[in-house]
Amino acid sequence: MAAVTAGSPSGPSTSRRSPDRGRRREVVAAYLFALPFLALFLVFTIGPVIASFLMSFTDLRSADVRSPLAVGLIGLENYSKLLSDETFHKAAFNTGYFVVIGVPLTMGLALAVAVALDSGITRMRTFFRVGYYLPVVTSIVAVAVVWRFLLQPDSGIVNTLLGYVGIDGPSWLRSTTWAMPSLIVMSAWRNMGSLVIIFLAGLQVVPKEMHEAAAIDGAGAWARFRRITLPMMRPTLLFGGVVTMIGYLQFFEEPFVMTRGGPLDSTLSTAYYTYNQFGFGNYSYAAAMAYVLFVVIALVTALQFKLLGSKD
Amino acid sequence: MRILHKRGLTRAVTVTLLAGIVLTGCGREEDGAAEDTKAKKVSGGKASGEITVWALGAEGEKLGEIAADFEAENPDAKVTVTVIPFDAAHDKIATAIAGGQTPDLSPVGTTWLPEFAATGALDPTPTDVIDADAFFEGSWSTTEVDGTSFGVPWYTETRQIYYRKDLAEKAGVTPEKGWSWDDLKAFTKGMQDKAGAKWGISLQPGGQGSWQSVMPFAWQKGAELVEGDTFTFNTPPMQEALEYYASFFEEKISPTDLATGALETGFINGEIGAFVSGPWHMGILRDQGGAEFEDKWAVAPMPTEEAGTSFTGGSDWVVFKDSKNRDTAWKFVDFLSQDAQQQKLYELVGSLPAVQSTWESGELSTDPLLKSFGEQLQDAKSAPAVATWEQVAAPLDDAIEQVSLGKSDAESALADAETKANGIGFGS
Amino acid sequence: MTTSTRPEPATATVAATDHAGPRRRRRAATGNVGEPRAIPWVYAVLIGGLVLLVGPFLWMLLGSFRPDRELKQVPPAWLPENPTLDNYRTLFTDLDFPTYFVNSTVVAVAITMGNLIFCSMLGYALAKLHFPGKRAIFGLVLGTLMVPGVVTFVPLFVLVSNLGMVNTFPGLIFPFLAGPFGVFLMRQFFQSLPDELIHAARVDGAGEWRIFRSIMLPLCKPALATLGILTFLASWNNFLWPLVVAQSEERYTLPVALAIYAIGENSSDYGLLMAGSVAIVLPVLLVFLVLQKHFVRGIAMTGIK
Repeated sequence: MAAVTAGSPSGPSTSRRSPDRGRRREVVAAYLFALPFLALFLVFTIGPVIASFLMSFTDLRSADVRSPLAVGLIGLENYSKLLSDETFHKAAFNTGYFVVIGVPLTMGLALAVAVALDSGITRMRTFFRVGYYLPVVTSIVAVAVVWRFLLQPDSGIVNTLLGYVGIDGPSWLRSTTWAMPSLIVMSAWRNMGSLVIIFLAGLQVVPKEMHEAAAIDGAGAWARFRRITLPMMRPTLLFGGVVTMIGYLQFFEEPFVMTRGGPLDSTLSTAYYTYNQFGFGNYSYAAAMAYVLFVVIALVTALQFKLLGSKD
Repeated sequence: MRILHKRGLTRAVTVTLLAGIVLTGCGREEDGAAEDTKAKKVSGGKASGEITVWALGAEGEKLGEIAADFEAENPDAKVTVTVIPFDAAHDKIATAIAGGQTPDLSPVGTTWLPEFAATGALDPTPTDVIDADAFFEGSWSTTEVDGTSFGVPWYTETRQIYYRKDLAEKAGVTPEKGWSWDDLKAFTKGMQDKAGAKWGISLQPGGQGSWQSVMPFAWQKGAELVEGDTFTFNTPPMQEALEYYASFFEEKISPTDLATGALETGFINGEIGAFVSGPWHMGILRDQGGAEFEDKWAVAPMPTEEAGTSFTGGSDWVVFKDSKNRDTAWKFVDFLSQDAQQQKLYELVGSLPAVQSTWESGELSTDPLLKSFGEQLQDAKSAPAVATWEQVAAPLDDAIEQVSLGKSDAESALADAETKANGIGFGS
Repeated sequence: MTTSTRPEPATATVAATDHAGPRRRRRAATGNVGEPRAIPWVYAVLIGGLVLLVGPFLWMLLGSFRPDRELKQVPPAWLPENPTLDNYRTLFTDLDFPTYFVNSTVVAVAITMGNLIFCSMLGYALAKLHFPGKRAIFGLVLGTLMVPGVVTFVPLFVLVSNLGMVNTFPGLIFPFLAGPFGVFLMRQFFQSLPDELIHAARVDGAGEWRIFRSIMLPLCKPALATLGILTFLASWNNFLWPLVVAQSEERYTLPVALAIYAIGENSSDYGLLMAGSVAIVLPVLLVFLVLQKHFVRGIAMTGIK
């Protein structure tokens, strides 16, 4: 069962085996592999990122864009202003709430669907795959209309169903308590599809033979899932977790179309607030906000790598 | 692996900080952006050469037809119209200014103009070709920043009270010019109590842009949003207006949780007796209500206390400083400000003319609904000409929501908004 | 999966096999060990979930055949009362649909190809090769994934206009040609492939490029398909960047053009918006249908010799 080690990158023992010349060749090859990407990446991604980072230490506003160098350097003033910005605190709390509930929910659902789609069903397999991907491609306008209809206080489907069991459902999107949970469920619904196909791809590295061998040995479906599927999928799960979290920490579209951040800022996210500041032409303040968010994302990502990353 | 990650970041940050040192030589000049605010003269004669025009949304789609007339009058001129979506026009123009990629001219929303003017990208209006007095005062004021005009009104709009005529009749109430706040309250309550409307009126319970709904009431009591170089949100007229506005929610005359899109349906099926909106709702109601609904509704002017003021918005033409054909651009703007073109724009897309004399002929002078809007335009104000206004309005919107939902009283909510607004300042 | 993926060396304990080999087909016919009882249950749950998922899509599809007025009813109805093709007529006659479609396709295909090539190359190097600076590069790539696009937007536009790329295809394409997302995805996927394949190939004297191109990359089809679908979709739906870079209508992409005609200052044409959304979605679904076939096992254990 040598393939069990497949998930981990080669340790130092393997490279020690290679002769020096081979190692040099590997390094040159690696740089050549990296070159095309890095060239484009440095110009079009790192360049603007550095510019925006520098911007966060100035008082640049949209009024200054014609002479961006003639602005005041204000050091950490934008950052200290953020510390006392109540709306930002509220947005940060909302974003945390959204991520803590939303990420596990979305990951769990997506993993369940991916495993089900990969469990050997053959009939209508393509049909199901397309079906579960549809929310991702459906126009956000249509999604918003239908979800508003689902969540309407009087005539909405959700409250009608709740009414049958004697529950008087709230006005979901206009309640400071329920607006956020509503958006979390909606986001899980909308973003699950992308994660399903990522997990589907990840599941393809789990050799069927391993499952079969384990099944012959009497391992049940759940045991096989835990001992074979999950460990083999670790790199993909890590990827899915990090990407979902990064996406969710920047969550914006759902409150934008459903609640405009309300009621009383209860669904305002940091990304939404950053977007608003950008719209106000407050470029430097928006940048400072983005980099505070950046630090948080980086820390949580590091934590995820620690928990899920391969141990080398 | 986590070390790997951390090291990568550290390195990225180091590189960035090094690059930052390059910037240390810069700073704001003492006298700020002392851009030339003196308008240059426009040469006489016919227009010539090529100009690029951005145009927004529905008005933009039809601008080509008007531009063709201009080309016919000025055979040496060529107008290239590029239509851009209204949705993101503000971001597109702001970015274009940053990248130095502006067209020769473009319409901008009236509340955006001060922000763009502050960048120094706009050419001051040449008063030798454009006559300020031809326009509604409220509209012209949207082009002025610190006493200099940076644009020319293209079309305008103002808010009035749409109401169900049949329900009002049943309730035995009629709105008329000069009615008071108490009359409006009694009117909406009457439709609710006596004519079976679920809601007497639908007002926006806070949220983005709700300051536009509340300010008319504040102006009716004589409020001023800016005095000198401070924002004055927490004044007695503002408090009175916000309290009055919120009383509609408190007394359950207006809903607080109306679903998006439910306003029109509710108004057409008689659940909602009235709402406040601009001229575009005439088209929407005709569209969605059909022919049988046509005579069931009307518009009423804003109530009058010290004044009967409403809000005015719309769109202004601006010419960019980087224009290579400035004279032709301004001649095109002048052309668009003539009665014939203003009338044509109204006929093509239903936008209300910003030029007063255009209202003296045609449908605009005979249709009672339109006439009512025309009269309201005589007493309408817009946002203060401040570059940071959109940002400053956000805390005001928050205050309105707080009070509308009964979470705060008007005085403390407005005091809070005023503090935040003055913290943001005027952006210079 | 082609047979070229089969590595020549016999020393490897793990080998790529042809998915559609006769052995597998026979097994599918007899049913998978331990699975049959679970399957009806899986179908039931999957179908149940599907109902919740396709609702809005169905509404969009039906809505595209309804007049705008009907779409604005609250609560919304499901079936068109007065079915009409007007929305599609407007879409294909008032809009210069072919131009926008070609623009969108050129941009999305170029960006997708670029990401597939560049990201898999770097992703492979990061996962399987040893070289100094590897961790820094990965950190940098991952780091930029965390910076919200809204704050780099203006600097990026200033850059692109200084490069003279405004209103050109390169301006629409280059900024997205090498995305951090793809590198991360490919690195993770390559990581889960066994190193033994590479070692065996090296022993056999295969060059690094050949190992990547002929052995490792073909095993990545599921990941490449995923990256292809996600990149294509993101690029196809991108709105703000093409709007800002395209300065004339002949460079507009579909979402930009649709926004002009369907979204107004004070009210939007939902009918046109739905028809446009359907027209925009179809190519994406086509890409999905083609690429999802690659979600097959590229690797399987062979018996130990």
